[in-house]
Amino acid sequence: MRSWDNGTQKTLETIGAWMLGILWLIPIVFSFWSAFHPAKFTTNFDLFAPLTIENFIRALSCAPFPRYLMNTFILVTLILAAQFVLCTLAAYGFVRFDFFGKDILFALVLLQLMIMPETLLVENYRIIKSLGLLDTITGIGIPYMASAFGIFLLRQSFKTIPKELVEAAQIEGVSSLGILWKVYVPLSKPIYIAYGLVSVSYHWNEFLWPLVITSSVNTRPLTVGLAIFAAPETGVDWSVIMAATVMTTAPLLVAFILFQRQFVQSFMHLGIK
Amino acid sequence: MKRLLGVLLVTLSIFAMMANTQVFAKTELTMFYPVAVGGPLTKIMDKLVSDFEAENPDITVKAIYSGNYFDTMIKAMTALKGGNPPTLAVLLSTELYTLIDKDAIIPFDDLISTPQEKKWLNSFYPALMENSRYVGKTWSIPFQRSTIVMYYNKDAFRKAGLNPDAPPATWDELVDMGKKLVVKDSSGKVIQWGLEIPSSGYPYWMFQALCYQNGEVLMNNKGNKVYFNKPGVVQALQFWKDLSYKYGIMPKGTIEWGTLREDFLKQKTAIMWHSTGNLTAVKKNASFDFGVAMLPAKKQRGTPTGGGNFYIFKKSSPKERKAALKFIKWMTQPVRVAQWSIGTGYMGTRPDAYETDELKNYVKSFPTAAIARDQLKYATAELSVHENDRVYKILDDAIQAALTGAETPEAALQRAQKQADRILKRYQ
Repeated sequence: MRSWDNGTQKTLETIGAWMLGILWLIPIVFSFWSAFHPAKFTTNFDLFAPLTIENFIRALSCAPFPRYLMNTFILVTLILAAQFVLCTLAAYGFVRFDFFGKDILFALVLLQLMIMPETLLVENYRIIKSLGLLDTITGIGIPYMASAFGIFLLRQSFKTIPKELVEAAQIEGVSSLGILWKVYVPLSKPIYIAYGLVSVSYHWNEFLWPLVITSSVNTRPLTVGLAIFAAPETGVDWSVIMAATVMTTAPLLVAFILFQRQFVQSFMHLGIK
Repeated sequence: MKRLLGVLLVTLSIFAMMANTQVFAKTELTMFYPVAVGGPLTKIMDKLVSDFEAENPDITVKAIYSGNYFDTMIKAMTALKGGNPPTLAVLLSTELYTLIDKDAIIPFDDLISTPQEKKWLNSFYPALMENSRYVGKTWSIPFQRSTIVMYYNKDAFRKAGLNPDAPPATWDELVDMGKKLVVKDSSGKVIQWGLEIPSSGYPYWMFQALCYQNGEVLMNNKGNKVYFNKPGVVQALQFWKDLSYKYGIMPKGTIEWGTLREDFLKQKTAIMWHSTGNLTAVKKNASFDFGVAMLPAKKQRGTPTGGGNFYIFKKSSPKERKAALKFIKWMTQPVRVAQWSIGTGYMGTRPDAYETDELKNYVKSFPTAAIARDQLKYATAELSVHENDRVYKILDDAIQAALTGAETPEAALQRAQKQADRILKRYQ
């Protein structure tokens, strides 16, 4: 069998990567195109079509998007912070300590992975109501703070850390929590970043649960606010909905572009370790 | 002097206590409502609510935007099961049986007492009340209602040599004119279709129009029987299919609800059947002369109604119910109905709304707005039965199977009838 030589292989990979990249970019380019041009040019790709910000003005007049953006931002930050703390501690407990009922507890944690959140809608509502947290951002976030996915990921990551490092720290007289903070957490940074990406994008995009639990502008996240443009009875007004989409995804896009190097670097370092 | 001061103090404190109790006596209502058409509707609703609160300082209304009709239903049902239902909600007129089965709502007959209120209950268009009545009681009040109308491109009519002021009035005329309106390019590909009727989204709604035009209704008024396999109904589905496969005036396959208006505005089709809710958007964005007409007749003209009604939930105190009734009566005053209709494109729900100056002037400047109103005398209730969602899916699947050629209309509808009968048996 003839094998590809290095040059051809590299060219093919580069072409493949470019094709995938362009495919991924097309919807974003379309949304920008549609947002900045009047409704007539949504599917008419005339390069010299007039630019306009009328769509953004119309979108903003329909709903208070800056407030919704802040709500979503607070929500995902709150959830992520709580998840980092709770999942780290839980994973550490599962990895380093042996206690009665450890396996049963872990099985329960895994059980959560198998249950769809939508089926828990009514029960979660009842619990949040009894906690008096209806229509608050905390109320939206609480069911997700103890994330089984996070516990599972971190446990796997902690397990790969060699025992010698732990023993070295123990000899130096560091406490258990100190070992966690000084040894386990720094070595698992790529996992935290990966998990953070997943968590933020999942909760940024969540619709049904926030819809059910929130009732006011002060708590409503972007997804529920955007729903006002879906207009199912009459059909979609693309230019306005694209303007709203650009306003709501732009922060994430900008954040990713800014921190792109850090993301990629941390994954590279994982290999070097 | 001291005595006077003492009396003054006591009187003042009594007033203060009364003022306090006045504040405590404020009735708070929560209302879930959907937004299903484009526009800054939450702002319009908020203004209406603050106007009401200004006139009624003892009532506060928390109007909560809850997504589309489907989302609002989920939110209301979750809140109900969670023990915290809203006081009132705007939900689809067809959710009647689902809400009654869940024992969630109360009939308006239990709340009205004066002859004036009885008159109010009877002041809406009868066609719109058909979806509210069950065992002789009225369970909901029309709020944002629509029907299907025929939008047509007058410029395309002129180009095809047709009279732009004489849109098709019968099925035969529809086919004839449709054939003349089809425009093909030099390679034989169709660039303008004669007609598009959407078959995704709410195909059962469009189908109801065709059936009623052929003299058929699809359900009884108890919500426990459907008539999907009657010969007239099968004929209607066959006609819908023939528009694409036999007469060639409509694209084959599924026609998308969400992009139909765009197709019409881009002149990819000369005629479209769509909700009256589109009127404002079409008017604003059409670069051509367009008209609106009633749907054509076969045995008679016909259209189903659509849209949402006010419902009052059972789990509310008598004071809340009275306040909710007051709010609904206020929202359905002719002048408010006119405001909501002009701002959203929904129809006026009562004849005297069209007698108000606002709507009179609007209709004068825009006569097409009156077509939907005039079509109401040919309107029938929207398909509404127990286990609505499941029955909708059964009928929608049958329609799409026939339109994509996967099954014959007869076979698809027979199957749908069997499936629906199985579901509705326990309600008979």
